[in-house]
Amino acid sequence: MWSLALSTLRFRRSAFLAGFVAVLLGAAIITACGALMETGIRLDVPPKRLAAATVVVGGDQVYTLPKADPADEEEDLQWGTLPERVRLDAGLAGTVAKVPGVAAAIPDLSFPALLVGYAGPVSGHPWASAELAPYGLREGAAPAAEGDVVLDAETARRSGKKTGDQIEITVRGVIGTYRVTGIATAPAAGDGSAAGPEPAVFFGAADAERLSGLAGKADAIGVIAAPGVGAEELRARIDAALRGKNTVTLIGDDRGLAEFPAALTSSENLIVLAAVFGAMGIMVAMFVVASTLGLSVQQRQREMALLRAIGTTPGQVRRMVIGEAMAVSTLATLAGIVPGFLLGGWLFDRLVAAGVVPEVVVFRQGLLPVLVGAGVSLLTAFTAALVTARRAAATKPTEALAESALQPYRRPGPGRWIPAVICFVGGLSLAGVTVFIMSGPLTSSTAGPAVLVWALGLALLAPALTKALTELLGRPLLSLSGTPGYLALLNARARTTRMSAAVLPVMLATGMATANLYMQTTQVSATERAYTESLRADAVVTSATGGLAPGLLAKVRELPEVGQGGATELVTSTGYVEKPHDGWQREEGWPIQGVTAEGVARTIALTPSEGSFGDLRGKTVALEADHARAIGGGVGIGDTVTVRLGDRSAVDLKVVALFETRTGSEKFLVPADLLAPHTTAGLAPQILVRAADGVGADALMAALGRLAEGQEGVVVADRDALTATHAEQQRTQAWVNYLLVGMVLAYTAISMVNTQVMATARRRREFGLQRLTGSTRAQVMRMMALEAGLVAGIGILLGTVASLISLVPFSIAVDDTPFPSGPVWIYLAVVAFATLLTVAATLAPTWLATRSRPAEAAAAAE
Amino acid sequence: MLLCMNRQRNPRGVDRSAEVVRLDSVRKTYGRGGGTVEALAGVTIGFRSGSLTAVMGPSGSGKSTFLHCAAGLDRPTSGSIVFDGEEITGLGEVALTRLRRERIGFIFQSFNLLPALTVLQNVTLPMKLGGREPDPGFVAEVIARVGLRDRVDHRPSELSGGQQQRVAIARALVTQPAVIFGDEPTGALDTRTAMEVLTLLREAVEEAGQTVVMVTHDPVAASYADRVVFLADGRLVGEIANPTAEAVAERLTHLGAWDERPRRQAPSRAGGGY
Repeated sequence: MWSLALSTLRFRRSAFLAGFVAVLLGAAIITACGALMETGIRLDVPPKRLAAATVVVGGDQVYTLPKADPADEEEDLQWGTLPERVRLDAGLAGTVAKVPGVAAAIPDLSFPALLVGYAGPVSGHPWASAELAPYGLREGAAPAAEGDVVLDAETARRSGKKTGDQIEITVRGVIGTYRVTGIATAPAAGDGSAAGPEPAVFFGAADAERLSGLAGKADAIGVIAAPGVGAEELRARIDAALRGKNTVTLIGDDRGLAEFPAALTSSENLIVLAAVFGAMGIMVAMFVVASTLGLSVQQRQREMALLRAIGTTPGQVRRMVIGEAMAVSTLATLAGIVPGFLLGGWLFDRLVAAGVVPEVVVFRQGLLPVLVGAGVSLLTAFTAALVTARRAAATKPTEALAESALQPYRRPGPGRWIPAVICFVGGLSLAGVTVFIMSGPLTSSTAGPAVLVWALGLALLAPALTKALTELLGRPLLSLSGTPGYLALLNARARTTRMSAAVLPVMLATGMATANLYMQTTQVSATERAYTESLRADAVVTSATGGLAPGLLAKVRELPEVGQGGATELVTSTGYVEKPHDGWQREEGWPIQGVTAEGVARTIALTPSEGSFGDLRGKTVALEADHARAIGGGVGIGDTVTVRLGDRSAVDLKVVALFETRTGSEKFLVPADLLAPHTTAGLAPQILVRAADGVGADALMAALGRLAEGQEGVVVADRDALTATHAEQQRTQAWVNYLLVGMVLAYTAISMVNTQVMATARRRREFGLQRLTGSTRAQVMRMMALEAGLVAGIGILLGTVASLISLVPFSIAVDDTPFPSGPVWIYLAVVAFATLLTVAATLAPTWLATRSRPAEAAAAAE
Repeated sequence: MLLCMNRQRNPRGVDRSAEVVRLDSVRKTYGRGGGTVEALAGVTIGFRSGSLTAVMGPSGSGKSTFLHCAAGLDRPTSGSIVFDGEEITGLGEVALTRLRRERIGFIFQSFNLLPALTVLQNVTLPMKLGGREPDPGFVAEVIARVGLRDRVDHRPSELSGGQQQRVAIARALVTQPAVIFGDEPTGALDTRTAMEVLTLLREAVEEAGQTVVMVTHDPVAASYADRVVFLADGRLVGEIANPTAEAVAERLTHLGAWDERPRRQAPSRAGGGY
């Protein structure tokens, strides 16, 4: 059968082109997603400033969620990534130093600093850690006394300072004057990545401790191995020495994770993105390959029947169809790997540019994702071929003797009904999960696939649905368009099966586009509205260095334009309920906002339903009322909950207030001065300000502007600027999703054109006959335009239905309304685009097919 | 000619008086309930080895259904079909396919060659499907016999209709089947080409002892047969041995409904004023 399949392939090269293109693009997308996933799983972050350390010890950023029943071994463990830097006890450096094979164990600290006269973030470190890069002194001396600093060469050049100069540096909102004692240079980045270490300024040990406010703490411990000691070996020994201390011991390209803990969350993002879009790619590929293959087999129905008549067993026909499909798919997959490679790298760059992935993460594309991608692509094609082959094998041998090439319409049997019903139920349960369980940024991961599952169900029933809709949509068509419409309708009725094959890609493209585009617009508008609603402040004071000086809030409140109750610090982080057990808790934890008790009422858009926000002092917390009832057996005012904060420290908090908010927006309110020390910055980054009664926005801004003047790194923004910045961030995030959706859509559209061209080009003989019986070429074109319109209409209708199963639950989940929000023109554009593509992809081959003389065309073999 | 009518064995050991295919009370109905159509209403007939039989009848007489059933392409609703001594009505799809592949040859009106394959590949396809390696000498001989020695590497689209039909005949002959079934084998050919094709079939019967059953509506084609059987309304309604084209044509006009025309019309028309 193999040689027969190959002969057929060689002979019908053009007929298999559609399948080839479909598999090639599918393989490229799957390979690209595979590479993104590998990058996410490996998460290689080469160290910059810690490059000289053989081993880096950092705090463990992974938190294991408490189980409902700690004794229950069946219950799955869940892990969350802690958002704040989990710092180490600096004393651990001593423990590590005693491990055999360790030449030196150097604690490292980083804190943001601002150099007067040099815009841009610089980080401050103790001079001792310079050895870990290693930085070398190019000139001058190491900082010895208090007030001494060493600049790196780049920072010195940009700020125009040289050894012996005075320099003003702001750290944690406090400005100080220092003396530059030396200039240090870092070695060139050895990992091939463009970026070197961040600009750095080195302080003496005492200054570093005082300025960072982190006495006795270390961000990481860099370990330099004794000569001849391997990294793996050393890691094992250090691991053993630090067992039970919640540390991680990193080597190789993982060391950078201790330097850039923010990269950790990008791992999950990359994996989820790659999985969602990879799965989408796989499903679309399966659809498209099955429909192109199906069409090519349908067009060779007579050939199949002949094969059956002269003694080909159903098994042999099946093997032949699969053989053809796999030969094409193998070539296409091989050809798709190279563009897949490029696509993966390109997508990764876009993700970095959009800030979804920090630029310190290195794109990794090994052999494995290529092999897996190729395997998945082939498996996809194989599954599609299997379905098609089953149908081809069922060809009756007597069809070879029949004169008519029409295929009788068969009512869908249980072989179609049952899986279709399963698909619809599956789509509904995904919808249920979306509405009742999902929240936050991952909501689209259950809402998104729902459209595909329904599309699959509709595809299974496509012949029956096409038949019914042809009658429904066909009548108005008939009454509007005379003879060409009459013929188009007759064609559609007579060839329901062929028609439904053409409808499928239109349905898929419309469904996917509508669902995914409106999911984005709904998400963006919901987030923006939630943000605007929650923002009661007229202005916000923020810090460019990540933290505002502790005294600033008091100064703001002293302004007559603000008043004592008109300002609050705002610290945001994430936390987990440790005790009692929180049934609602998920891997991403709960948002925590640190606020100032006196300012909450006027600046935060929440009202307590019980208790008072004014009591948020010391170790206290305010909870969402419904959420509070779900913690343990339900907690109320006066009860204590143990909360694990973002830096892994646990605190017992007394509940002092309950409030109500929208589902999905549950959060904790805690005192800002409780939360701030447990964040990476260690200080509140924002102050929300509300103008006192009767004070205009301009007066407030002017007053705040005067206050900020001379305070390095303090920025004042009004409400409009805030919303604009927020919207801009949202748009950047959404753009990445549009990009990925666009990729899958382009794929679907190409396949749609493919199928349409393939189906039309085969009707040359039919067109010839029609012209022989008196149709003009224009009439044939008009008939085909109407037929294409009918195909587009049915496809768009079914696609819209399929998209609703994604959109309605998604809108309920994120926006509390069944109606997705977003401009109507998106839908109109989708409809117009689908119609235009279908009609163009039909008319172009019709025009070509009717170019020859009708008698010639009519005599041509089918 | 000793070959004729005598009980005699041909070189391949075919007993010319034994029946290769035997149909007994074969019925075939389509549809269910009120819309039932009886395509075959109890047909009993046998085909002797080494004979050329033509099956004739007006459209709708059940010719095609008859051929489908006899050739194992379709299953009868009831009755028995014995093929080369084997009852085939109970066989499954795969067994039927194997039977067709190994013991039946087909010639269709529209040639039905695989467009992707060359003449040689088309001819050897049934054997390849059966996993048998064709004997190149024998294949060459068969192709030469149908006069296509110079065309072995051509594709069907490069051949005339008559040539394509000869490829189909070679494909049917090459497996040395027990029976070759033809479905209007000359239906799409001009008279000269049709004659060539029929001569080829006749030669296969005479010289190789091949058994051929063909459905046709052309009395001239039927005259090449040893025997013509007539079908009307799903029943056998007669047969002619050693037919001439004229006798067949005459007989055809009295089949089925044609025969039930009111007799009185004939004289009135014949006597129309001349």
